[in-house]
Amino acid sequence: MAIERKRRSFIDIFDEYFDEMERELDRWRESFVEGPSWNLKASTMEPLKNMRVLPTEVVVTVDLPLTKESSLKVKALDESTLEISAQMKRKMTFKELGITHHKGEFQKFHCHMRVPVPVQMNKMKTKFKKGMLEIHIPRKRRH
Amino acid sequence: MMFGFPDVGLVGVIAASHLIEELDLDEVAYLDSTLLPPIIVLHEGLPHSPIRVFGNDNVMLAVSETPLAADTIYPIMYALIDWGKSKNVKMMVSLSGIPLEERQDAKELKVFAAGSSPEMLKIIKDRGVEILSEGYMVGPQAIMLQRCSQLSVPAVTLLAQCFYNYPDPEAAAEVLKGLAGITGVKVDVAKLLEKGEEIRVKARDVMKRTQQEMSNMKKGQEYDIPMYVS
Repeated sequence: MAIERKRRSFIDIFDEYFDEMERELDRWRESFVEGPSWNLKASTMEPLKNMRVLPTEVVVTVDLPLTKESSLKVKALDESTLEISAQMKRKMTFKELGITHHKGEFQKFHCHMRVPVPVQMNKMKTKFKKGMLEIHIPRKRRH
Repeated sequence: MMFGFPDVGLVGVIAASHLIEELDLDEVAYLDSTLLPPIIVLHEGLPHSPIRVFGNDNVMLAVSETPLAADTIYPIMYALIDWGKSKNVKMMVSLSGIPLEERQDAKELKVFAAGSSPEMLKIIKDRGVEILSEGYMVGPQAIMLQRCSQLSVPAVTLLAQCFYNYPDPEAAAEVLKGLAGITGVKVDVAKLLEKGEEIRVKARDVMKRTQQEMSNMKKGQEYDIPMYVS
């Protein structure tokens, strides 16, 4: 039995691409609001972060207040996952954050981010200014 | 009467919090409504509304500790403005931000203002604050301006250039300088700038919730190029 492969128009491909992007963004947004923004076991806090997919590059920004640039680590775990961490200049306790029913302290920001399009991780560039990290990753060209 | 609600860069909330501390304002009223999510804010073990009004003999300041859901903005802002009007306030001022694409590289942050009437625009111009003459405004500060215009209550919305998604204490300091220029309500912003990084750590969760509501209320429309209908 021969199965005829349905030809997809350029618009179909375009729509699928954007549908997938939308789903990826939804997953990313959901991960933003679920669960606490801290991990007491690891003494880490999750930083605020943002990702913009532009035609030629992906731009990631991460807010890392109270951190030192020398302690900043940006690692590509694989072709699409970034791990970002930075030591804080001083420890912060729950009490300082206005929470009295938990005990503990934080000394590090830590997060993972998944890049939703193919990128060239080895060409990643970073910039750090006033506790704000900016990462530029060129996108892979489709030949 | 001033307003500081969660919005871009949390400019209004950070500025309001600093005003309460510097002017030593007391809680004078609170908003009680079933339109609010089932949230109370606990302070020293006692329940408080997330939307409260602080004040002294000269000023009142409405502040929210939770972002307003898009479908509650109209009734909540109308209620607050009607209440302020019943207290014969002279002027209403919203403190907020306007996102700047290249905020990280900005050397200085501008403050813009929009007014409820041509008379208010003249006052803003005379006091040296730049007018935001064209564009879209989305959120509680937009409804405040519109409602005050309808009721002929003098009103200004002050907007400092800021980060969209990140708490921005520097922008809050700028909006407070703008406030001093327009109303004469002056506070020292040195402490605010000094504690800026600490504020950014503490404000992460409110910013996250605010991002979600901003997305629901189509806040991104402020970036759009308007199509004028004359």
